[in-house]
Amino acid sequence: MKILIPLKQVPDSTVRVKVAPDGKTIAVEGITWSISPYDEYAIEMALERKDADPSTSVSVVTVGPARARDALRQALAMGCDDATLVLAEQPLPGLAIARALAKVVQDAKPDLVLCGKQASDDDQGSVGPALAEVLGWPHVSMLTKLVPADGGVELWREVEGGHDVWQATFPVLGTTHKSEKEPRYPSLPGIMKAKKKEIPERAVASLGVDLDAPAPEILALETPPARGGGKVLKDGDMKAVATQLATLLRDEAKVL
Amino acid sequence: MKVLVVAERKGKDLRRVTLELAAKANELGDASVVEVSGLEHHSALPAVSALAARVKADTPDLILTGATPNGRDVGARLAARLGWAYAADCTAVAADGGALSVERPMYAGKIRARLRVATPAVLSIRPGAFTLPANAPPPPVASLPADSASEKLTFLKHEPTASSGKRVSLAEARVVVSGGRGLKGPENWHLVEELADALGAAVGASRAVTDAGWRPNEEQVGQTGKTVTPDLYVALGISGAIQHLAGMTSSKVIVAVNKDPDADIFKIADYGVVGDVFEFVPAFTEAVKKAKASS
Repeated sequence: MKILIPLKQVPDSTVRVKVAPDGKTIAVEGITWSISPYDEYAIEMALERKDADPSTSVSVVTVGPARARDALRQALAMGCDDATLVLAEQPLPGLAIARALAKVVQDAKPDLVLCGKQASDDDQGSVGPALAEVLGWPHVSMLTKLVPADGGVELWREVEGGHDVWQATFPVLGTTHKSEKEPRYPSLPGIMKAKKKEIPERAVASLGVDLDAPAPEILALETPPARGGGKVLKDGDMKAVATQLATLLRDEAKVL
Repeated sequence: MKVLVVAERKGKDLRRVTLELAAKANELGDASVVEVSGLEHHSALPAVSALAARVKADTPDLILTGATPNGRDVGARLAARLGWAYAADCTAVAADGGALSVERPMYAGKIRARLRVATPAVLSIRPGAFTLPANAPPPPVASLPADSASEKLTFLKHEPTASSGKRVSLAEARVVVSGGRGLKGPENWHLVEELADALGAAVGASRAVTDAGWRPNEEQVGQTGKTVTPDLYVALGISGAIQHLAGMTSSKVIVAVNKDPDADIFKIADYGVVGDVFEFVPAFTEAVKKAKASS
């Protein structure tokens, strides 16, 4: 099975994100960048296939600025086979990114494209389904498991109360919600091997795709007002506190 | 403005988010509500193909879906099919001349973005973001047959999660009770469930709990799980890691119970109880029943 994973480099989930002085972007000084968590699940899901069947190949690609090369290097260190950087210094509309990725997919001809269900920066979740649409492929979102099946793959989609299991023939696209195991850490030999690998670069403008697409325009980014100043109940026996809290929720907060 | 709402159903009933969207659509202009029929299990392609054909005929300016897993799935692909702008998980929408003024969270709720979205556009809307007017009549819903000819996948089976039952869905629940590592083990979950039953709540869990296999993944609240916006969120034995807070911090009222007075969850709680969950929760469950009975 040939798997291609488009990934995105985002601020690490432990970063306290701040708004930049322009009020429209985030302050990037001193930020630790990582692979978006759902993309890490996609990588883990693919590498589990590769562990089970070494003939599986796992490629990664990103459309992003030069610093995104580090995220690709990280994916190689985890065990992915090869990586491509599509250089785009400026942010692009989701549909434009999907078109650029579609070009890479058409050249690489994978059986399966796996995307994280959304990137943890803009939380849009539009590129995966849009990529499937540009390619004319079916897609299944919210995957937690994939199982090879005759001539294709079983895709396990998390739904309320369980999973819907779909059978797909290749090619197909999935968006990942979770992997069965936590994403692996790169091994030391993996890191050494990844350092030596070439990461070919293609300028997004050289792909010959239409990068003009309608997209929301950001007017302002704000930090939501901080919560706090709540009541703390700690004195007395727990029965009395329980009664007091239930009364507050009913009469003061009016949520009972 | 012509607004098309994509309806969703849970069992026989329209989902609450569909009612919220229909009410909002009426406020924005000329609203119609369609439900894709003939799909026993959600699948994007046949739904999107049917909706795209309807859009060609009806020429709406705006399409609203719920920011549920299915609504986001359809919304993103439909926008790409139509070549329209798309914004996901919106929490506020207002007409602004020929365009829309929209708010949505980014960075797992750490940032709120104000956007200008030119029409035509597709927006998915977070459940609970729009208040549902009291006694709002259910909207008329037109049935739109799915385009089954465009389906390329085969449905194999539905595999139920052992513990899932008849409870309200986590993402749409007006009250959520979540348990964390402070519960000490899955054998103590009856405490969470009894309180949830008394409150008519959905049950959630912290990531530590789902990672440990005490509860199924689908109950995880937080950055890599579900984002919830209930009227009341009760966190039992949850310390309040930043990734958990990202999933519940926009709840209207937050109650936290933890024996550690320095737990981060208290920084965002409206009501904090410093104490032992095993002592407090059974007493609180009884107190809730009494308070509700006498209201």
